[in-house]
Amino acid sequence: MSSLGNLGDGFLTILTPMNMLWVLVGALLGTAVGVLPGLGSAMAVALLLPVTFSLDPVGAFIMFAGVLFGGLFGDSTAGILMNTPGNSTAIAGSIEGHRMATSGRAAQALATAAIGAFIGGILSSALVVFFAPSLAELATLFGPAEYLALSVFAFVAISAVVSESVLRGLAALVIGLAIALVGVDGMSGTARFTGGMPELFDGISIVVITVGLLALGEVIAVAARRGTKEDLRVMPSTGRLWLSRGEIRLAIPAWLRGTAIGVPFGIIPVGGSEVPTFLAYGTERRLGSRRADSMFGKGAIQGVAGPEAAGNATAGTAMGALLALGLPTSATAAVMLAAFRQYGLQPGPLLFERASELVWALLASFFVAMAVLLVLNLPFAPLWAKLLKVPRHYLYSGITVFAMLGVYATSSKILDLVLVLAIGLLGFAMRRYGLPVAPVLIAVILGPLAETEFRRAMAVSEGDPSVLVSSPITIVLYLVLALGVTGLLVQRARNRRRTIASGATAS
Amino acid sequence: MTTHPAPDTGPATYLRRRTGLIVPLLLLVTGIVLGAGTLTMEVPDNVASPGPQLFPTMVAVACVVFAVLLGIDILRRPEPEQVAAPTDVDPATDTGTAARTTEATDVTASSASTNAPEAAAGDTADAGATRVRSNRRAVAGLVGTIVAFIVLLVPLGWLLSGALLFWGVARALGSRRPVFDIFLSIAISSLVQLAFSAGLGLNLPPGVLAGVL
Repeated sequence: MSSLGNLGDGFLTILTPMNMLWVLVGALLGTAVGVLPGLGSAMAVALLLPVTFSLDPVGAFIMFAGVLFGGLFGDSTAGILMNTPGNSTAIAGSIEGHRMATSGRAAQALATAAIGAFIGGILSSALVVFFAPSLAELATLFGPAEYLALSVFAFVAISAVVSESVLRGLAALVIGLAIALVGVDGMSGTARFTGGMPELFDGISIVVITVGLLALGEVIAVAARRGTKEDLRVMPSTGRLWLSRGEIRLAIPAWLRGTAIGVPFGIIPVGGSEVPTFLAYGTERRLGSRRADSMFGKGAIQGVAGPEAAGNATAGTAMGALLALGLPTSATAAVMLAAFRQYGLQPGPLLFERASELVWALLASFFVAMAVLLVLNLPFAPLWAKLLKVPRHYLYSGITVFAMLGVYATSSKILDLVLVLAIGLLGFAMRRYGLPVAPVLIAVILGPLAETEFRRAMAVSEGDPSVLVSSPITIVLYLVLALGVTGLLVQRARNRRRTIASGATAS
Repeated sequence: MTTHPAPDTGPATYLRRRTGLIVPLLLLVTGIVLGAGTLTMEVPDNVASPGPQLFPTMVAVACVVFAVLLGIDILRRPEPEQVAAPTDVDPATDTGTAARTTEATDVTASSASTNAPEAAAGDTADAGATRVRSNRRAVAGLVGTIVAFIVLLVPLGWLLSGALLFWGVARALGSRRPVFDIFLSIAISSLVQLAFSAGLGLNLPPGVLAGVL
């Protein structure tokens, strides 16, 4: 078991005072952005990208790990105490969580969420430690055609699943592909859509795109909502902090079921934790309805435990897929991939050989971050909720200042500031009109890769397109994709027919 | 497909419920720009067969196709229907808030603004239905502040323009204490200058204060 030995080395790397400080900073920041509505760990990592450029990669990445999981720990706090989930990943867990809070069991709900996030994260990280190296080995067999198939899979899956309308998801994807086209084409040296400006020869920086879409877009959206009444009452966190034996007996199977549901979703590019959290919630609800004493509707502890564990389990395996395959399966993973590229590292099979110290330190930091986050969140969740009392206008002004600072600091180009504003306005328009942002990020990251692999495959086969579907791996990927999309479309059409039918009877 | 009753009263209301058309319009313009750029692209002669123009052509065509599809979708299903639909699976948190809230608490701000009559008319037209209410004045103030920051950053330097950015954004987002904000924003931009320029060695423009700092 060389994995364990490598992991031990990883622990030795990060258990220095300085690196522990980075984990702590990351965990604090991540929890903070998780608690605050509309902000997520993807945005936090995007904002941190420019300012961590002077850190050593190990320090930066273990901080990102803290942010990544911190966001998932924090997002349930606001959902449970205020019924305004900090992130879309916390919506499922907040349904029963808020009911528990209204019935005077807020502390138990918060504890269940924190422990659930811990269990889901730890178990999936352990799986990543044992299986990521073999996954990376499998990925060394991949050629251009396989990578193209993976990219196409990611494109279609994320566009179809993340948004409620496939059309809007695909439109967002196309916007991202168009943004990614700007710059000098790496294979032929042709300048594309640069308007003759040498500043654009390197393309639009991923920092500009992520900060614009995720940070500035959200700030503008907040400005547009100004004056709309918002409910900001925080429920008092009453009740016992520790779970009773009966509660634990109910929660443990739910935590484990949630983890089992969440783990596979990290490898499928469906945009992160929304889908698995809702699946876990649905499962718990169905199982709960079989019991005579079901608490669902009145604040069932399983309804919090399942989704929270699922959310963090997905985040853990998503990092595994990113490290081993170089495939981002969510917006956060896409931003992490951008971070790797900033340090000149390309996630994928070769990363385990070339930057093995960094990889294992990062994996070890998952466990440390999870433990730190449990300590930060289990007793102090009500304190974190106080963060929502910070006046909204100062908070978002600070984010704007930080966003502009980061963008300018990486490049010292005024053009980048203009671009970040333009992309921020785009991000606002997309939020306002219901287009998902995740497909844009995935397209920007994977678009150039897909193009290069496509042209490489065609060049090798001398223009014969059948090479794209000649290997068993590509055939399986395209088949699964076709089946999945067909199934989804059929299910959506059926749902629509049902809602139209019920609407007709109601009116 | 006449599943939705049309409460539209005139062309203005008709368009106001379909401001989302700006997205397909943007896609269409992108598609045209990409297409034109692809046609005029200067390609070296010795390029391997799927050249640098194939992918942009595909994206340009996709842009136009989705612009048309999205445009049709928005024309057929105007906004209130959209927002009133169940939003609990929606990844965008802002629609969740918007669906719960219709009322404007910021009465003074909206009555002072130029588009107040429009906003009021919009609110009465679909009372109960929950179209997202956009505070255009706040957005304009915010974007204006950022534009001013971009213009002034190099001549004024980080310290002053950063302070202006914080102050302006806080004001646009509804801060009611302009004088206190001046001190707060200067404190914050100085703190950033200290932490990131002196501490982490990031390169921030000194501007007019070049000699003082």
